[in-house]
Amino acid sequence: MTGLRVAAVQASYVLMDRDATIDRVAALTATAARDGAQLVVFPEVFVPGTPIWIDTQVIWEGDEDWFGLLASNAVVIPSPASERLGAIAAEHGVWLVVGVDERDPHGGTIYNTVLYFSPGGLLAGRHRKLMPTGAERTVWGMGDGSTLRVVDTGQGRIGGLTCWENYMPLARFHLYAQGIDLWIAPTLAVGDGWIATMQHIARENRMFVVGVNPVLHADQIPAGFPGRDRLVPPGCLEDQGPWLEEGNTVAVAPDGAVLAGPVRQREETLLLDLDLGTVAVQRRHMDPTGHYNRPDVFRLVVDTSPRPAVTETNGATGITEPMEV
Amino acid sequence: MTPTVVAAVQAAPVLLDREATIGKVVTLAEKAAADGARLVAFPEAFVPGYPDWVWRTRPWDADATALYARLLDQAVVVGSAATDVLADTARRLGIWLSVGVDERDSQDSTVYNSLLHFAPDGSLAGRHRKLMPTGGERLVWGMGDGSTLKTIDTGFGRLGGLICWENYMPLARAALYAQGVDVYLAPTWDNSDVWVPTLRHIAKEGRTYVLGVTSCIRAADLPAGLPGREGLYGGPDDWLSRGNSAIIGPDGEVLAGPLVGEEGVLLAEIDTTRARAGRQQFDPVGHYSRSDVLRLSVDTTPRTAVSFASHDDAAEPPAEPATGPGRPGQSR
Repeated sequence: MTGLRVAAVQASYVLMDRDATIDRVAALTATAARDGAQLVVFPEVFVPGTPIWIDTQVIWEGDEDWFGLLASNAVVIPSPASERLGAIAAEHGVWLVVGVDERDPHGGTIYNTVLYFSPGGLLAGRHRKLMPTGAERTVWGMGDGSTLRVVDTGQGRIGGLTCWENYMPLARFHLYAQGIDLWIAPTLAVGDGWIATMQHIARENRMFVVGVNPVLHADQIPAGFPGRDRLVPPGCLEDQGPWLEEGNTVAVAPDGAVLAGPVRQREETLLLDLDLGTVAVQRRHMDPTGHYNRPDVFRLVVDTSPRPAVTETNGATGITEPMEV
Repeated sequence: MTPTVVAAVQAAPVLLDREATIGKVVTLAEKAAADGARLVAFPEAFVPGYPDWVWRTRPWDADATALYARLLDQAVVVGSAATDVLADTARRLGIWLSVGVDERDSQDSTVYNSLLHFAPDGSLAGRHRKLMPTGGERLVWGMGDGSTLKTIDTGFGRLGGLICWENYMPLARAALYAQGVDVYLAPTWDNSDVWVPTLRHIAKEGRTYVLGVTSCIRAADLPAGLPGREGLYGGPDDWLSRGNSAIIGPDGEVLAGPLVGEEGVLLAEIDTTRARAGRQQFDPVGHYSRSDVLRLSVDTTPRTAVSFASHDDAAEPPAEPATGPGRPGQSR
């Protein structure tokens, strides 16, 4: 286990257009792979994008068309959309990590999910964000404890949490305890405070950290998008400027030093050659789940059982199984 | 809550001289109190200083051994004349006084890295022994148990804290968050560039004010006669620590500092009402926790190596001896 070339893709999505955004994933992955990337990482809910109206509108007021687009463009697993993402990974022989708005096959709730596809095109990992933030709670459900797993790529162990989940100390500790060399933090969070958090997390578990953001300019909202004129009220543009998603993509070394970024107000793919073998050496300084832990004082219990809404039992066959939603 | 002025004191101890260093604590606390501070915080192991030589000596060589012997001699015993002076200072100035000390235990044998909190009435309202020393520190300090992870209600917010790289222990931080810490002290020796980002992260994770307090000391500050002084330290400008003190607000914003390369008293006005209101956005132990998935338990039992019991002291009569034939070893 030594060098791994990682591409952190800061790019714009095509708002609430799943297939057009997956076209972008395909093109950007092809470019990154041509540049030698072995792992390509996309932002939080990149497909089909951020429900950007939640922070600019009164909750539930005039958002029917927008939520309808989110639901109909969400990614179902499995579906042609998820199979296509797997095929992109396989075509280029890369690990592909991509955030999606995920929906159960017949479900009405959207989850904020990160998918990990192997170079063989298989879905090797899936993480549903445990807790949405603020107004996000009006569009996304909560994941259960069954999707907190690190993925072994053979060239290092990767995993992570999504956006402000990164502020959940217990969730981080659970992933640290699985042995993780590269932490992936897809996010929408902007500003220097977020960079400080990325540096802290790297140094806390002595691992590499890659934070990946989308970027979106107001002009990139598709023409003809329903309610386009009220989607971003003029006051918001005056307050925040035309960058609805400013970007903040960054890479951090295990000692907390910033390796690249933060990238802001432009599309850019950061290419990083990470020597994951240095992680083990760094942990002689700090290992929060090993020599720097106090298991006699602290005991963390994690319930990793899947929690389906309904478990069906059939008295005739004796079969009990979770019902697919 | 009423807005309150707090102070982070960045200074040099008189290394391994307890009384002289306490003299500095008194003087600097008076200065901070005169500037309006109601809480005055000092660095990690400030009295009688951080054992910096653990990073400069081979573990068991003669200088390291001599320095340790002096550390043991000059360490602070809780309930001694040294802590009486600190308590009197807090009472006289009407302040909360938090001071990092090398604490010697009651049998005068192991030294702990402790943070003492004195209340304005002069009582010792809280004591935290660092749970885990770092690297070379493990040769001079023992480990605290879970009984000293308590926050204290000051009237202007709940006060607590962790020491140096303890601040990289997510579970220890969670234990403080769960007690509603509003003013989080992080006394430290760490003066790296990444330390301030860590303070900012903790502030935002716990939506708490954070006071990072660091010693600032160079060879010129070292007293004459320190064992190994000539060989271990360079010229007057050989920095043991440049300092890195900072006061951070509950949204991760820097309110004061970082102060580097000079002694000084950082002041900031804090309002814990704002910290608590900020938890509408994030509360790691409330609405942003997932207690159905992640559950932390903390053993706060005091742990002593040996406990003594006398049957004469017992409220109940001693057990009768076993009577069964051939089973002398059986106990009840």
